[in-house]
Amino acid sequence: MTDRARIVVWRLVILVLLLGSWEGLTRIKAISKTPGLYWLDPFFISRPSAIVERFVYLASDRVRLSIWQMALSTVQSTLWGFVVGVSTGFVVGLVLGRNDRLARIFEPYIVAFNSLPRIALVPLITMIFGFGIVAKIVLAWTIVFFIVFFNTFQGARSVDPDLIHAARFLRASERQIMRTVIVPSALAWTFASLTPSISFALIGVVVGEFLGGESGGGLGYLIIQSLGTLNAADMMVALIALGVIGIVMALGIKQVEMRLLRWRPEYRSRA
Amino acid sequence: MIGGLVTPTSGRIDVDGRAVGGVPPPAVGYVFQKDTVFPWRTVRRNIALGLEYRGAPAAEQDRRVREAITLAGLEGFEEAFPATLSGGMRQRVALMRTLVVEPEILLMDEPFGALDTHTKLGLHAELLTLWEAKHQTVVFVTHDLGEAITLADRIVVMTRRPGRIKMLYDVGLPRPRDPIRLRETAEYAREYGEVWHVLGEEFRG
Repeated sequence: MTDRARIVVWRLVILVLLLGSWEGLTRIKAISKTPGLYWLDPFFISRPSAIVERFVYLASDRVRLSIWQMALSTVQSTLWGFVVGVSTGFVVGLVLGRNDRLARIFEPYIVAFNSLPRIALVPLITMIFGFGIVAKIVLAWTIVFFIVFFNTFQGARSVDPDLIHAARFLRASERQIMRTVIVPSALAWTFASLTPSISFALIGVVVGEFLGGESGGGLGYLIIQSLGTLNAADMMVALIALGVIGIVMALGIKQVEMRLLRWRPEYRSRA
Repeated sequence: MIGGLVTPTSGRIDVDGRAVGGVPPPAVGYVFQKDTVFPWRTVRRNIALGLEYRGAPAAEQDRRVREAITLAGLEGFEEAFPATLSGGMRQRVALMRTLVVEPEILLMDEPFGALDTHTKLGLHAELLTLWEAKHQTVVFVTHDLGEAITLADRIVVMTRRPGRIKMLYDVGLPRPRDPIRLRETAEYAREYGEVWHVLGEEFRG
């Protein structure tokens, strides 16, 4: 067996053990005077079989809002927030990174806004943008913007001045220097911020959905609703779905990043 | 100063009868001491940079870049990124990137300083061949006396800080030169000795 295969087998063993003991321990009654007490109480953590059952139900057309629709809504808000946040963060980072005076003027505002816990903004954003998808996008944007902004800013500042000199000797105009030296150099930093950005966008969206109610839908709504009905199984379904969405999106970004940064030695071996 | 990167404290510098100020004069090319090949561009697109900036038509860019690649012996590495190349190859890319726009004056600031002797000698041979074709003016800064004698017509010995001109020395070795065989000749040894004597005074301080 190759080393790789052995690692996969171990992973599967751990998964089976985890799911098995979860299922088993939530079924064994504890020896106790109080009736109906379990080793692990399925009321709080549900059990795998119940979760699968609820998933099948939520995925069927017997529900008004299926899990697919909710997942789609969450993915949509996340991607929009991500795209808007990355593009604005990149542009502002580039402009302030190449303009010392502007950077110094805006610094206190940026620091102040960024140190504000974004969750505190949720009620205000909801008040302004309503319960729909826009509020979630705005929330994701306020988080993603700053991650991308700070990275791009740093990247635009740390462009090797000798590369700019070299371009100038080849008679590049300022525009051409921007396009062929500063942007590609800063992009390397921006890309490094994309994977955390997509995760944070998802956080922002889910928090927004907690408050958003049914009109915005989304998996965050499913979680809050399950809290209302004390339904641990539904909550688990939503959590697992969020985990899968998070992984898939992060892997997708990683692929794009590897493709675009294939000139970097640390990406070369894997690209 | 010739490149317009630093302004002189006094006096002025003319290139082609025009005073240098602020921006690099159009006829001047510069090969840096440090590796300034753009890491995000392939070898081909690095060499094409100068032509691209000038807005040369794609067909012409293609042709001249291909010539440069053949001249520098970089065939097969056209689509390679600099990170996959050795230091000597990267410096060759930097040199071709500068030469492809045909500067009349070539400034070279210790361009081979970071390379091992073997690679350096190879690049000397290449530089001499390229020079024989175009006879550009080359201003070459080096700490390696052997390199100076191999390449130069005239050596300017500078003092330690403050850097002043200590000696002008005309190298009498015939061209074309072979950088390896040259070093075995008696004339090379004699010229080396003469300049070394003056340099030695500087080292002793």
